[in-house]
Amino acid sequence: MEESDGCVIADSLERPGTFGVIFDRHGSTLLRFLARRVNPAEAEDLLGEVFRIAFERRSTFEQDRDSARPWLYGIAANVVAKHYRSETRRLRAMAKASADRQLAEDPAERAVAAVDASSRWSRVVDAIGTLPEAERQVLLLFAWEELSYEEIALALGVPVGTVRSRLSRGRARLASLALDCDVPVAPCEAGGAR
Amino acid sequence: MTDELEPVRRSRPDRLLPDDPPDPEVLVREKTRLMSAITGQENAAEHRRSPSIYPRLAYRDELAALDFLTRAFGLVERRESRMEHPDGVLAWLEIGDGVVMIGRAGVGRHGLQSPLEAGAPTAMVLVYVHDIDGHYRRAESQGAQIVMPLEDMFWGDRRYEALDLEGHRWHFAERLSEIRARRPTP
Repeated sequence: MEESDGCVIADSLERPGTFGVIFDRHGSTLLRFLARRVNPAEAEDLLGEVFRIAFERRSTFEQDRDSARPWLYGIAANVVAKHYRSETRRLRAMAKASADRQLAEDPAERAVAAVDASSRWSRVVDAIGTLPEAERQVLLLFAWEELSYEEIALALGVPVGTVRSRLSRGRARLASLALDCDVPVAPCEAGGAR
Repeated sequence: MTDELEPVRRSRPDRLLPDDPPDPEVLVREKTRLMSAITGQENAAEHRRSPSIYPRLAYRDELAALDFLTRAFGLVERRESRMEHPDGVLAWLEIGDGVVMIGRAGVGRHGLQSPLEAGAPTAMVLVYVHDIDGHYRRAESQGAQIVMPLEDMFWGDRRYEALDLEGHRWHFAERLSEIRARRPTP
């Protein structure tokens, strides 16, 4: 059995070099998270930043926890939040790729008028960028990273109830955008700040 | 649309553009940087890159394979490179200056099959090791199926062949000249 992350981090207070084990276990997962959220070329730098911050704050990690992953996600989410412009560009690119892919692969979508399906999918994804920061973080940790409510709560340092309510607000916004956008083909200027 | 999160899920960048890297060099590099920042020592470790050509092997149970290959054949995982997909793990294993990549078998996994499914291996991995006799004993004691005995060959190698848990075929060898050089001359 491997030592828990809590034990490794406790150990790293005395022997800093052991913190490398935390990178071994979670580095690739966090790199993927970052590469989903910002331009992949930037993700590498942010990965370094996340682990340097984690190392500096390791004494605040609650050592009875088995996994440091939600904690690392929380640090990474904060780092991403400082790169909103890059994130928006990434979402735009993905919205476009998403629309193209749907048309190529999904016979059910092909049955729908092509232009409509393409614009609807891309608008929904594009709309993620217009969600308020707190809702977007929760939504993407849930839908992309497949974290549980509890893990998201740990990551963001908020109660589980807050995670639930942010997620349902995010869902509701996306649902209304998708509906609004179904009819017109013109680009949808989704509501919300930014 | 029944679930408004479905477009979000399906638009995850790595679903749209599959991202199995041939060389997770970024992770190796970032780990090296982190370690030198932590320990304050310039890490002199050479910058490891994957060789220009190396195989990817598919397994039904890639984690069992990972355990077996390290235990029985002495391969060493580049631990920081391991990628955990929700539907399978990718790992890079080194021996000497060679690398193999292992992942889960299946249609979505580049169409690669395990020999368990294919009925036979369709390739063989050839590996030069240090101390072939010790390597052989270790593999045998860990349950590798030996399919060609350990023998001296006319081209100057001492070699054996073995199957791993799922039937991938491995050829292990050491050059006779190196074995002789190790032995104290009588």
